[in-house]
Amino acid sequence: MVHGYPDRRLYPPLMALYRDQGIVLRGYPFGEADRIVVLLSPNRGKLRTVAKGVRKTKSRFGGRLEPFTHVDLILYEGKNLDTITQASIIEAFTGLRSDLDRVVAAGTMVEVADLVAQENEPTHRLFLLLQRGLRVLDHGDLHPDLVTSYLLKAADIIGVAPALDYCASCGKTDDLHRFSFAAGGVVCERCRAAGSYALRPGLTDYLAVVAEADLSQLPDPDEALSREAIGVTRRFVEYHMERRLASLAVLDG
Amino acid sequence: MFEPPVQRLIDELARLPGIGQKSAQRLAFHILNVDEVDATRLADAIVEMRRDVRLCSRCFNVTADEECSICRDLRRDPAMICAVERAQDIPVLEKTHEFNGRYHVLGGAISPIAGIGPDQLRVAELVNRVEAESVEEVIVATNPTMEGDTTALYLARLLKPLGVTVTRLASGLPVGGDLDYADEITLGRALVGRQEL
Repeated sequence: MVHGYPDRRLYPPLMALYRDQGIVLRGYPFGEADRIVVLLSPNRGKLRTVAKGVRKTKSRFGGRLEPFTHVDLILYEGKNLDTITQASIIEAFTGLRSDLDRVVAAGTMVEVADLVAQENEPTHRLFLLLQRGLRVLDHGDLHPDLVTSYLLKAADIIGVAPALDYCASCGKTDDLHRFSFAAGGVVCERCRAAGSYALRPGLTDYLAVVAEADLSQLPDPDEALSREAIGVTRRFVEYHMERRLASLAVLDG
Repeated sequence: MFEPPVQRLIDELARLPGIGQKSAQRLAFHILNVDEVDATRLADAIVEMRRDVRLCSRCFNVTADEECSICRDLRRDPAMICAVERAQDIPVLEKTHEFNGRYHVLGGAISPIAGIGPDQLRVAELVNRVEAESVEEVIVATNPTMEGDTTALYLARLLKPLGVTVTRLASGLPVGGDLDYADEITLGRALVGRQEL
């Protein structure tokens, strides 16, 4: 043993450094000037970390750990939370931050990702969906069906996609004009259960198209159908998550 | 466990933010060792602050009167309002000596993710002031975070139709900092908001 250095065989390193990437979902103040930063990592799922001193104006992290930012990180493992030691931006999505409606849409996307992601569970599909959603928001105007499509795709990833082209109760493929949260999708007239409600004509097909379409290639919106589509989808997702989506309610008042 | 009077103070101090059991013990024994007048002065200060301080009826700053000293000051420009998240932000801005208008404490910032909407802030009160006090400019001085920026965008959307100028504190490089340590978002904003010399 070299004098002054502990024997590695007797003292394994106490803290492990590792590298990962993720999209910042949210952050909240912690202690005097620190912040807990919650990220979605494709490899580790939900990652709860602490960024020390990030709230000071001269923090070396600057704006890198604000929500919606895709960052590359060096972290060291802690007992409860891992500490971020370095952060560099992969994609900042600066475009979407300058428009209120797009910020709220992005807020809904990260909120849903935060609700469904688990810690220590790889989640490539959800990560790619979120990344795609933020990119589409970053580059263009807000399509009225973007959040609807995102919510339906997220529901699919966690295995609760609503049935849209067959009756969720008996499997019948025609006469689908009602929606039931409990049955998990559209239902036919014969299976109409208590609590199911009538959909505007054409909405079933509209939802099916929006659920399938690429986020950047959504069909031309129909205003009335759009409004009802987000309403149904939002309540469907809230029903299955057993939680209200706070972001969508922010500008309701 | 200490004797009940000592332990009671330790428990109370330990409820303060950032104070753990050990610090609370140290503070309690310090208070035990100082002159009684000093300890009484501390106790009185706490009691008087709680009894006398309330929120300014105009701007919601903390004050001992109906209106805060800034709102009562006739030399200040009533046509300018600086909207801040918290009352603690006002002394920081005052120290710059660059602003001679009045303030408005919003009581937080809009956070889509935490579900904090404009109705939980003093936004309606700000709109009333803009309409009643012939305000010409509202400076949004919320934090340069996603929440603060969202609040600024919301206030701009709400206030501009009333014919008032809505401005935002500039974001950029901290004075005394190094350019190569700046992150892309901050530096990008510094470029966009550059000024002619």
